[in-house]
Amino acid sequence: MQYNLTFSMLLTAPYLGWIADGVLTTLHLALLSWSVALLLGLAVGIARVSSNRALRLFGTFYVELFRNVPLLVQLFLWFYVVPEFLPSETARWWNRLDEVPYWTAVIGIAFYTSSRLAEQIRAALGAIPKGQFEAALSTGLTKLQMYRHVIIPYAGRIMIPAITSEFLTVFKNTALALTISVVEISATARKIEAWSFKGIEAYTVASATYMLTTLAVILVMTMLERRLAIPGLIRWGS
Amino acid sequence: MTAPIIQVRDVVLRYGDFTALDRVSLDVFEGEVIVVCGPSGSGKSTLLRCLNGLETFQEGEVIVDGENVATCRNLPALRRRIGMVFQHFELYPHMTVLQNLTLAPIKAQGLPRAEAERLAMDYLTRVGIADQAGKYPGLLSGGQQQRAAIARALTLQPRLMLFDEPTSALDPEMIFEVLQVMKNLAVLGMTMVVVTHEMGFAQEVADRVVFMDRGAVIETAPSAEFFASPKTPRARAFLKRILRIG
Repeated sequence: MQYNLTFSMLLTAPYLGWIADGVLTTLHLALLSWSVALLLGLAVGIARVSSNRALRLFGTFYVELFRNVPLLVQLFLWFYVVPEFLPSETARWWNRLDEVPYWTAVIGIAFYTSSRLAEQIRAALGAIPKGQFEAALSTGLTKLQMYRHVIIPYAGRIMIPAITSEFLTVFKNTALALTISVVEISATARKIEAWSFKGIEAYTVASATYMLTTLAVILVMTMLERRLAIPGLIRWGS
Repeated sequence: MTAPIIQVRDVVLRYGDFTALDRVSLDVFEGEVIVVCGPSGSGKSTLLRCLNGLETFQEGEVIVDGENVATCRNLPALRRRIGMVFQHFELYPHMTVLQNLTLAPIKAQGLPRAEAERLAMDYLTRVGIADQAGKYPGLLSGGQQQRAAIARALTLQPRLMLFDEPTSALDPEMIFEVLQVMKNLAVLGMTMVVVTHEMGFAQEVADRVVFMDRGAVIETAPSAEFFASPKTPRARAFLKRILRIG
């Protein structure tokens, strides 16, 4: 069997435009889901270490719900099942949105990722000495100020490696959005293959997209980690 | 005579079945230096932590600077008037020494940054580490860290200071510099409650000594009296052990 690799084909219309759209969709889908996940994860992570029992229970329930069902299944649930239970007005508004699959993917990936982040955040909060909380309170900061100025900046620095790896996972997880018809880079690769029978080239582009973005993320996060390393507390190298 | 700045009345604190504080009472007057001593697990630190609401108790009442701690609606405001120093310093490691000192004055008291920094530098100078202001706590020696922590509490210009075993985590040669700072503070008339095993400090600086054991106050006496002739056998035994005499 003879197969001619022709990557140059990808630079022609319509493929180049498709690839650009696909890459962009993957990037903003990942970034948006990630941002929402970080906010939710922070709230749930703090709830899990709260002194309030009801909040702790809620946090545990949330985490176990979203992290124990495969993301693929969760996407299907959000896409096919949840809208059925919406009040008819809301359902109509939802269905009339331009990009229902896209927003569904954001919701699905964000909730799933937030449950995993909440665990990382809980672990980081647990690693902070109890005395830090007490010291902050003893100076007359409110609980909110204590978290905002002392605990979260401290925990954030401890968490950077774990957060980086969750961030990478989000990029790769966006590929699942193709199952609910979001045309991100993996769906684009399938489309290119279907049109041109150039599967190797198409999937190479998709793979390269993930590789390059995740490598860029690693680079940025490593720089951030070095920059924010706490002098005398977190050592670089040995 | 004015009312005591700290009034502790029959405070009972239990963790489950364990009674950490057993009907503890104590009055502290303005300008007094009180040393609380006793074997470990006797409830000294717990008592101290009840004074600024870090610990909640089941019975009795604590009134500090005119406010009932248990029912206080604005604990942060009350805590700003009570400086606290911890055994393990508890400086925020991700902030410079100066930022450690100015955080609460800026965020909790609403001081302008320049004013807070001026105040902070003033106190850092007083504890002798003004040159360390821009460093991170992890790069300071233990003694310097504890002095910075004392300065952090002082920058709030509190009415009284609580010290929870401030020298217990320090190397012997650094204990001296921290005690020196505390002595200076006492000389300036600061009201202080100090939980410590430093009996030299107690003898030299304290007005009164409170001896606790198993959650109860066993003996309260003027410092000289306590060291010369402790009234209770338990205090005698404790002193004997800690001073390694007899």
